[in-house]
Amino acid sequence: MGSSHHLLVFLMFLHYAVGFTYNCVKILPDSSSSIVVEVGKNFTATCHLLEGCAYTSDDIEWRLGNLSIAKQSYHRINETAVSVTINISSDMSDWLKCTAPKESLSYKPRSIYGIFLRAGYPPLKPKNLSCIAVQEDKDISPNLSCSWDPGSRNPLIDTTYTVYANVPGTVLTHKADCKQHLARFCVVNLETFPIHMVLKVWVEVKNALGSERSELQSDSSYFAKPNPPLNVQVLTEDKFPTSLVVTWKHPIDRTILKLSYAIRYRKVTSNVWIEVPESFTRGYIESFRLQSLEPYTQYVVQMRCIGESNSSYWSNWSPSVTERTTEAKPASAPDLWRIIRPTSNSRNVTLIWKAPVKANGKIRFYNLSINQNNEKFESHNITADNLSQMYSMELPAGKMASIEITAYNSAGESPKATLSIPRSDKELPGVKDMSWSVRDEKLQVKWTAVLPLPHPLKLSEYLLEWVKIPQSVHQKELPAGWQRVPKNVTVTTLNAGLEKFKRYNISVYPIYKYQPGHVWHFQPGRPVTRPAYVQQGPPKEGPTVTVTKSKKNSAELTWEETPLDSHQGFIIHYTIFYAIGNTKQWKSETVGPNVHSYVLTDLASETDYVVYVMASTEAGSVKGTDCTFKTMKYGDGEVEVIVVVVCLSFLFLTVFIIMICLRKREVIKKLLWPQVPDPSDSSIAHWSPDFPIKADLPKEDVSVVEVDVFDGKSLCEEDKGVLPLKKDKYLSEEHSSGIGGSSCMSSPRHSVSDSDEGDSGQTTSSTVQYSTVLGSGYKGQTPSHQPPAFARSESTQPLLDCEEHPDHLNESQSRSSYFRRGRELEPGVLAPECDGGSLTFCPVQEEEPSPVAEEPPASALCYMPQKSGYRPQ
Amino acid sequence: MNCHVGNMVCLSQRSQAKFRMILAILILIAVELVHPTVSCKNETCSQLLRHSLRLTRLMSKRTTELLETYKTSQDFADLICDMQMDNVPVSTVSGQTISQRILSVYTHLKEFLPHMKTVMEQQKDLNPPTNPVAEGLNRMITHVRHIAVRVNCILEILQPNIPIPEPAESPTGIPHAQNIFQQKAYGCIVLTRLQELLSQAVQEQKSLKKGKMCRKSTKNGS
Repeated sequence: MGSSHHLLVFLMFLHYAVGFTYNCVKILPDSSSSIVVEVGKNFTATCHLLEGCAYTSDDIEWRLGNLSIAKQSYHRINETAVSVTINISSDMSDWLKCTAPKESLSYKPRSIYGIFLRAGYPPLKPKNLSCIAVQEDKDISPNLSCSWDPGSRNPLIDTTYTVYANVPGTVLTHKADCKQHLARFCVVNLETFPIHMVLKVWVEVKNALGSERSELQSDSSYFAKPNPPLNVQVLTEDKFPTSLVVTWKHPIDRTILKLSYAIRYRKVTSNVWIEVPESFTRGYIESFRLQSLEPYTQYVVQMRCIGESNSSYWSNWSPSVTERTTEAKPASAPDLWRIIRPTSNSRNVTLIWKAPVKANGKIRFYNLSINQNNEKFESHNITADNLSQMYSMELPAGKMASIEITAYNSAGESPKATLSIPRSDKELPGVKDMSWSVRDEKLQVKWTAVLPLPHPLKLSEYLLEWVKIPQSVHQKELPAGWQRVPKNVTVTTLNAGLEKFKRYNISVYPIYKYQPGHVWHFQPGRPVTRPAYVQQGPPKEGPTVTVTKSKKNSAELTWEETPLDSHQGFIIHYTIFYAIGNTKQWKSETVGPNVHSYVLTDLASETDYVVYVMASTEAGSVKGTDCTFKTMKYGDGEVEVIVVVVCLSFLFLTVFIIMICLRKREVIKKLLWPQVPDPSDSSIAHWSPDFPIKADLPKEDVSVVEVDVFDGKSLCEEDKGVLPLKKDKYLSEEHSSGIGGSSCMSSPRHSVSDSDEGDSGQTTSSTVQYSTVLGSGYKGQTPSHQPPAFARSESTQPLLDCEEHPDHLNESQSRSSYFRRGRELEPGVLAPECDGGSLTFCPVQEEEPSPVAEEPPASALCYMPQKSGYRPQ
Repeated sequence: MNCHVGNMVCLSQRSQAKFRMILAILILIAVELVHPTVSCKNETCSQLLRHSLRLTRLMSKRTTELLETYKTSQDFADLICDMQMDNVPVSTVSGQTISQRILSVYTHLKEFLPHMKTVMEQQKDLNPPTNPVAEGLNRMITHVRHIAVRVNCILEILQPNIPIPEPAESPTGIPHAQNIFQQKAYGCIVLTRLQELLSQAVQEQKSLKKGKMCRKSTKNGS
């Protein structure tokens, strides 16, 4: 008992602690589930305070979700009821709550009541309801597939789509619930398709805000879609080259669905279908003859069917069946043309032709007949071959030819094509002012019509010929293409597959016709030809430039024209780019398309240049290969001028020297060949009593003594080494020379000056007396036992070098030494030097006594010492 | 008293009149409920007749095919199918006028429906589950019902002022305790007689077409 009391107290405490959910408010309308409200409409709810509730209507507050609703929307009905009206929007699916808040410090519980609002739209009426039941086997399927447009608005709330089907007059109604959201397709099973009955189908869409329904009622066949016709075949008939027979089977029994058929056909080469009028195939038929077809042409045939009087859906098209009509004889003549190439004394004529446009079969062969000067010349049957439809022949310039050609297929022969080739001097006039342009990537050719010709010539048509340049090497290809246009046309577009970037020669020929007999003859006039491109591109390759002449400030460049095939367009100009070495400072010169050489000027001399030539078309440019060259150091003739100037200068100098020499020859003579006193005229004989003067001494004016040099060296050469060592002595010897102080043969110690100072008062500029010394013999004479003889010369020439060096003479004393004139004439030896280093002699005044004259020479053996002095002259 | 009596009489007369009216309305409602709503106004007479004839012809053909299938599947001789069986409706179309004969067709078609259902059930029991006869019979029942609707519309055109008596789809009267042979014979007889009925129905409708029924009715209608 006590324990139960405590438990009750505890429960009461727990109750107040957790809170008592006492509710004294209620909302109307109320629902255990959500309340669906329509978007855009106003919704009014009323909050009622229940009896016994301590609140008043002023305490009531409305909230939607967690947001309070403005007080302006409240409507106080009475003390215990307050309503609120809200405009529903699509995002208002939330709790609408009515609350009576708990007052502060009050133990009264908070009262709250809510209803869940679900915003949505009423369903839209389905549009474009259509139902279809396809054929299955030989019956119509009981599954009726229906589709419709549910509209784009999302109803936001659960919406169901149901399809119903019923045959009016029967109680059974079939239905199908469409599960998917916003359903637009559903299949209802009818168990058995109601043939030949009225069928009523409707789709009903429902949600909490309403329902809509779309209905379709029609004969049941309108819901049926039959299969395409079965076993469609296309048959040919030999005798009917312009028709094909189409046969088929009914896809479904006529008691279920009586069908009518549609046939369409097209050429294999065309995408355009031709449909046979439905009136022709309306009956319940199983065959049809297609007529007015082209012979020997492949046709594609398809069929489909529909319930009679369009009482069902069209079936799909049947699979395509292709068949070719049979052959008929060619309906048009071959297209004959010729290409004439003049040779030296004749013409090479190549006949080319195309198969008839309306060949109506496979051309088996051609019959070519050639007449020359109206006489049958030759006739050939040429097997039809697309690759060799040409024939070449020689036609003398003075002859005319008439060519006829006929094509044959299995059904017969074609009409005849004729062409006349006149004599060379009988050409008919051509068109004028022919030009071309490119339009839509095709060549459009324009020309001026030919003037009317005198009877019987008539203009028949024009022929446009195109020849690819350079011509293809494939001989199997036709060398030219051609196209005929009516005579009243002067502008046309070439329907040829002309290649881009290839040059074509476009020619326009007027074709004349005349009728000499019963047959028309056709003869082309003179062509007018222009080169053309259907599309130009930049050249494939640039020209290769070479430097043919390089000068000091200019260089001549030459480049070959690139092959025509690589031009890819008309060359509009060449641009020459050149730069010094690797400086990349390019200069350019632009020249015309016909220029293939150019002289670059204003170049720096002796400089490396890089040059290339760029060829340009209207579509672009391409550069050629680089070429490097170097300019010359000298210009043209500069070297020649220098050489000439130098030569002339040398010549002038030579002449000048010669003139000088000639003018001063006496001086030079005296310098080169000093006057040697003639010993024979010498008076020495008079003052040398010990030795008789030989009367037979040569009177040659030689002032030297021939010395036999054993080692081949001249005295002068040998003397050079020892000369400096003996300078002082030498000078002293010179001063002591008795015969002018410079004679090699004079003995310094025994010079005349030693004894006779007053007799030698001459300088080198004055007359110097020379003496000839015959030391060791002369000309084989051996004066060993003879006393030395001194001969005094009256010559005023400077002393010989050798004379200045008595040491040499000493050395040569042991040999046979000779002084030769020639040796003494050497200019170097002749130069008088007065300084101490000179190897030459230096004239001194004989009058001056030498302070060292008394010193004995170290080695003066070249001549005998003068013991007794000499006598002044 | 008289007055009172008279009043009483008046009141009873009034109440009787009301009762009759209510009864008539109820009967009409009942008839409408029992009698399926036949929508014959969606088509012209010629369309109706054409469709009816095609459907009857199709069903006649199908019944022939079904009978052949039935005989093949049951290994039956023709004689068995032609034997007498009282509870199966006769195929003979009776009546003097075309309307009576069409009504006879209509009545017979309605009579055949429960028998066809019975045969179908029996066939399902005999050769489950893929029995072509049962499947064909199922479709046939639907189509025969549709023919009946068409014929009913023809009757409405032929005799617009006379209500068409609606035969109830009463039980066949065939005892359930049939052996298999009896069931097969029964089914064959039903199909044979149905085929005969449909053939006669085709003929009757052809005669309607020849008799230019629709032209007359159009004139009458106009």
